[in-house]
Amino acid sequence: MMQNFFTMNGYGLFVWLSFSITILTCAVVYYKTYKTLKKHEKDFANELNKLSAQQRKLVLDKSKVASQVLASYNKSI
Amino acid sequence: MFDLINPSRIFHWIEKIINFINSIFFILLIIGLTFALILSPPDYLQGDSVRIMYVHVPAAWIGLASFSSIALLSILNFIFRIKNLNLISKSIAPIGLMFTCLAIITGSLWGQPTWGTWWAWDARITSMVVLVLFYILFILTHKLIIQEDRANKISSIVAIFGFINIPVIKYSVDWWNTLHQPASIKLVGTTTIHTSMLTPLMLMLLVLLLYCALIFLMKYKTEIIRIKKKNIKRI
Repeated sequence: MMQNFFTMNGYGLFVWLSFSITILTCAVVYYKTYKTLKKHEKDFANELNKLSAQQRKLVLDKSKVASQVLASYNKSI
Repeated sequence: MFDLINPSRIFHWIEKIINFINSIFFILLIIGLTFALILSPPDYLQGDSVRIMYVHVPAAWIGLASFSSIALLSILNFIFRIKNLNLISKSIAPIGLMFTCLAIITGSLWGQPTWGTWWAWDARITSMVVLVLFYILFILTHKLIIQEDRANKISSIVAIFGFINIPVIKYSVDWWNTLHQPASIKLVGTTTIHTSMLTPLMLMLLVLLLYCALIFLMKYKTEIIRIKKKNIKRI
């Protein structure tokens, strides 16, 4: 029964290849997207840190997105 | 109404939805794979190769739905001039391209044992390749044209032109005598697929849709951050 699960009556190669390619592609795209997101969060946090304390406070008060990106970045480091 | 999709308004929801999808995704993936690879029966004609359909069909549907969404958003953008719609289209395009390519590859893997060939210049398969070209053109306009407004305009035109191909793909199996079989699942009319096979198909569709939502939200979030970073001094 176990052998049949892998060979799938002769279609095993095609079935397993289809599922493997799909899962592998999805995993690679997920990893790359996640990495890009984190890189942008880091760049954004660095840009914020370049500002003076007063400017930074102003940006964080005015922009909800800025404060949330910073919070998310701080959580991930 | 369009204020509802304002990045500042929905940004904190994005993180919450990403976390929610992450928490249920693997459980659903395992259930979907169990049904697709173990619990569903082999087809009386196709045998076990029918299992390829559980990734091929959802991938093709997502590829078509993604391009239709991009075209629709492009039309709305032409009418209402909402920059955010471009961000959404830009985030959907790579997902659509990936799934259209997966549909072609898995289709080819199914074709070899069933038709005896990896490839045929059949109307359905050829029109899917044309869809891939439109996706590439759409993505390239954003990559190659530096001026953002110009890139948005050209990519919108590409999407609207490409939309003509969607009904061609859908009805290619009815209009021409093709190797590709007609649809077994119909929105209008009787579905000719047994529940034991419809269940894994729908489960895998759900899993892949959740994956799409996850990637889309991460890409959309990246785009918002990129724009905010560019305008940081103006905030």
